[in-house]
Amino acid sequence: MTQDTHSRALANRLAPVALVLGIVLTTVAFLLSFLVAPLVLGANVAQTAIIGGEAISNKLLLSQKIFYIHVPVATVSFGALAFLAYYSIRYLATKNQARKPFFDTRARIAAEVGLVFIIMTMLSGDLWTRFEWGVWWVWEPRLTTYLILMLLMIAYFILRTAIDAPERKATFAAVFGLIACVDAGISYLITRFVPTSIHPVIFRTDSGLSPSMLVPFLLALFGMALICFALYRLRLRQVELNQRLESLKLQLEEN
Amino acid sequence: MMQAPVATPSGFSQFKTLLGKDLRLEIRSKQMLTSMGIYALLVLIVYGAALAQTAWGFNILQMAGGLLWVLVVFTSLLGLNRSFAHEKEFAALDGILLVPLDPGVVFLAKAASNVIFLLLVQLIAVPLFAFFFLASTAPAATAPFIVLPLLVGTLGIAGIGTLLSTITLHTRGKDVLLAVLFIPLVFPLLYACVSATSMALLGVDDFGDYWRSLAMAGGYDVVMILLSWVLYGFVLDA
Repeated sequence: MTQDTHSRALANRLAPVALVLGIVLTTVAFLLSFLVAPLVLGANVAQTAIIGGEAISNKLLLSQKIFYIHVPVATVSFGALAFLAYYSIRYLATKNQARKPFFDTRARIAAEVGLVFIIMTMLSGDLWTRFEWGVWWVWEPRLTTYLILMLLMIAYFILRTAIDAPERKATFAAVFGLIACVDAGISYLITRFVPTSIHPVIFRTDSGLSPSMLVPFLLALFGMALICFALYRLRLRQVELNQRLESLKLQLEEN
Repeated sequence: MMQAPVATPSGFSQFKTLLGKDLRLEIRSKQMLTSMGIYALLVLIVYGAALAQTAWGFNILQMAGGLLWVLVVFTSLLGLNRSFAHEKEFAALDGILLVPLDPGVVFLAKAASNVIFLLLVQLIAVPLFAFFFLASTAPAATAPFIVLPLLVGTLGIAGIGTLLSTITLHTRGKDVLLAVLFIPLVFPLLYACVSATSMALLGVDDFGDYWRSLAMAGGYDVVMILLSWVLYGFVLDA
């Protein structure tokens, strides 16, 4: 247990540092993405146009800059969900009643942070869709999966607020959290691989990034991961302090 | 103290007893089937109003698979909500839980009774849908193949729905909550089933696509039913 408290104290000390570092890294990545990374060539333009003294035959996609924020945020949101699934399993698997609230709190906070990142992914993705594909919404596999994922996470919290008994709330939330994570995976597979005769899957490969594009991308990825970790730890600390305060209040009332 | 030698009934006979109880209750009260049947009819009437203004050139066959699944999903939702309602009256569920049963058996029995009721309602609702909306169309020769996605879809809906309706049994505002949990979870299955149903109705050149959609739906069923079956014990204990 001393090891546990020790590592927890360390994580708590690291959280603010991680937050600041994450903000710095993402800001640097943001600046690099505009100042260093080249514009991406889009579809051919019907007529060559003179823009800024240069003949342009391709549409330059400024909207592609969203990529440097959107993809890291989406990747990190999956990480948060992996933690939700992990702690849900630990909650259900453990026989130790005293440890159960420990796992439940962590699963809930992982879901909270996950939902924040999912909503950020949806917002940035939607802007990108608007400017790259010209529509606010299409039922495209990735968008559909993410919408379903967002609804599942919202449902997770609606479920939590609808139950009063703390133990039952925790168990049901763990069961639903686990199923939701599995369902998100299936949803990804099915929306992608079910043959649709009506509209083609818009398939993009963004691999083969040049170094000037890869560096801001990776910086943003690490920055976002650090921010996610820091948010998780800070929120966890706040919840744990709150729980301690409540139990102290209860003790005072009893005395 | 003398103890009478009692043979523990096998899992299958426990399953039969539980399922028989649900079926007997339904045969006597006819509550679930009437409410679901009437609800399905009402959804069809809403479709009638919604489609009343469509033009002659409108090909309803392209939408028919989707419309059929909207009907199935909402009717199932009503049925799933009701399937545990009578277990709460007079604390019937507590009675079942007092018996040392494997929770997996309780799950399978409840899921089986849900499958039976849902299929019975579809037996009426699908021909009615065809009668109202597909009378003047010419479905492809493969149209009878819609039976398979309906079957696979109903299995999945009943499986995941049984787990979720047990969860929502003890919550505030359970009717709405079931929909909130159920619809996103069942979305992948719905997507695959609509795809297979539409292909059967419209007819496609490569019928392998139909089987691929069906296999996807079947995969969802296997994963989700196994998961629900494993997790059901936790839900019942809570």
